[in-house]
Amino acid sequence: MTGRARTLIGFVVVGTALGLVPNLEEILTFPRFYLIFLFTIFFWVAQASSWNILTGYSGYFSFGQGAFYGVGVYTASVLVGKHGWSFITALPIAGVVAGATGLVLGLVVFRVRRLTGEIFALTTLAVAFVLASVARLSPSIDGGTGIFMTGTAVPEVLGEFTTAVYRLTLLIALVAVVTAYLIHDSRLGWGLFAIRDDEAVASGLGVPTFRYKMIALGANASLAGLMGGLWSIQLGFVTIDDVFNIRVPLFVILMSVLGGMRHWMGPVVGAVIITTLADRLNSAGLADVNQIVIGGMLVVLALAVREGVYVRMRRRWGTTAITFFGVLVVTIVLGINESLISDFAYAMVATVVVMLLPERAWDQIRRFFGRREPGAGDERAEGLTRTGS
Amino acid sequence: MGLLAQGIVSGVLVGGLYALMSLGISLSWGALKIINLAHFAFILLSAYLVYQLTVSFGLDPLLTILIILPLFFLVGVLMQLFFHLARVDEFKSLIVSFGLLIIFQSLIQTTWSADFRRIGSALNPYETESFFIGSVAFPLAQLMAFVSALLIAGAMYLLFTRTYFGKAVRAVAQDPEMARAFGVDPRRVAVILSGLSTAFSALAGVFIAIGQTLFPGLAVGWFGIVFSVVILGGLGNALGAVVAGVIIGVAAGVATILWGPLAAPLVTFLILIGALLFRPEGLLTTRSVA
Repeated sequence: MTGRARTLIGFVVVGTALGLVPNLEEILTFPRFYLIFLFTIFFWVAQASSWNILTGYSGYFSFGQGAFYGVGVYTASVLVGKHGWSFITALPIAGVVAGATGLVLGLVVFRVRRLTGEIFALTTLAVAFVLASVARLSPSIDGGTGIFMTGTAVPEVLGEFTTAVYRLTLLIALVAVVTAYLIHDSRLGWGLFAIRDDEAVASGLGVPTFRYKMIALGANASLAGLMGGLWSIQLGFVTIDDVFNIRVPLFVILMSVLGGMRHWMGPVVGAVIITTLADRLNSAGLADVNQIVIGGMLVVLALAVREGVYVRMRRRWGTTAITFFGVLVVTIVLGINESLISDFAYAMVATVVVMLLPERAWDQIRRFFGRREPGAGDERAEGLTRTGS
Repeated sequence: MGLLAQGIVSGVLVGGLYALMSLGISLSWGALKIINLAHFAFILLSAYLVYQLTVSFGLDPLLTILIILPLFFLVGVLMQLFFHLARVDEFKSLIVSFGLLIIFQSLIQTTWSADFRRIGSALNPYETESFFIGSVAFPLAQLMAFVSALLIAGAMYLLFTRTYFGKAVRAVAQDPEMARAFGVDPRRVAVILSGLSTAFSALAGVFIAIGQTLFPGLAVGWFGIVFSVVILGGLGNALGAVVAGVIIGVAAGVATILWGPLAAPLVTFLILIGALLFRPEGLLTTRSVA
């Protein structure tokens, strides 16, 4: 069995297991909040993974996630809330419109010859605010009044509201992660990595750089918009300030920087950790501090972490497992937290801290235990794959 | 006709403020290769500090410049030292300064709350005063911003073209290693330039505090306009920034009069797209620093 088949079967297993969680609700009698918490994670997994397809793979830094997400939210809410479409038909349209927005943007920006990377980054930053002001001033979109999405009917096959949102977010998150995975190991993925390392050389070696960048941007924008369209019913009341703010791009950047932008799993790991932490900070009544902590983490991680925690976790999966489950078991047994989510949050923070120890610290620890360097081969292999600096 | 003339005049004057807001970002990007999004926070922070100084101590808003500019020059110096220490390159500067922007914005929000703040008219003699030529009004606050932008742009132009320091800046922008070989200390040049550009942003904040109502969300709303001015004017080009600011100010002002407020952001964005497609190197390229 090839590695790819094994991974794809893994997706099916994980997806089915997570998909069955709502069915277990009555048996295990866990609070309804856990479902909401989980689908918030799915939301961010989809956003971060789709962002990473463009930015992580091709190196084109995008602040446009909020714009694509916002286009998705507003496409769905205008169609459903103002024109009475059924939600399930509006959802794919949201993805298509967001994707088209991304492609039009790419058509303009990728044509610029000089400074493309930086100009791309700042144009995407500006786009969200231009779209926001257009939506604010145009009564056929929002006009500053907001759109009510409460009471939107979801198909009955999916169960009642929370369960339906759970299943749909899970589905879209899976699609985003599988897309990111398939691109990662494809000709397209290798082309994008080449563009990131040196676009001129890649182009000279025959990588169709413009087409590849457009595909990556299109995938990023349409997945972000699709999830945005779905999120409109979770928001309930859609307003411009809520949708087109800096939160979405900020979080996806932080998640991917933390998890690692070179591997498709990086954003997934980052999304799980950051969503859990943000949720705990909010429930501890620290919502004000939240933004400052997030901004501070972004600065520190951007400077300190080169390859993200996921790569390090894989290199030291034993230590990772021991730290994570050790802390998790200890916190659960001691019962110091009221919520299981807090236990997980502690375990994640402990794992991240251990993983972020610099190599020098690991040498010290190894010497202390008198062991020979176990991962010497890994180090060398990693050195080969790591290009640029 | 009178309305249109007023629209053009207001556009020109507002363009001066846009230019002032863009100068810091443009200079640090063009000459230091650091895309510093934190400048948006500095503009806002300076505006709030001016507000606080006038309200708490009854200072004349213009007098606060004497405190604000040195203070922010220092902030710029410290930030550049931090960037050097952390070895921030052009690409990382985006992420790091984005994080700094978020931190400063949240700090502003926790300090001054999300409420609207405005210097009362008793303390702010410049708010409502205007010069008139015929029936066309020249609001004093905007006029001052415009004149400062012109003066600074002119001074920067002379500094870059006529002085040894300007030559050093251009040398560092082109090739820091080579500049070092010829006896220029790139770090010192960068630190001074960063201080200057942060002070320019702070000056923009002073005029914003005089002329506008403040709230924390203001900063992100500037992205579109400032970025358009920076690109259209050319990176590191102070005179270009003024020209671009005026073009965008006039276009947005006229568009608002002709087609209503919906048109202003669209026109700004169309100018940006046009600039990216046809003149990505900026309007007045030959005089650019970088």
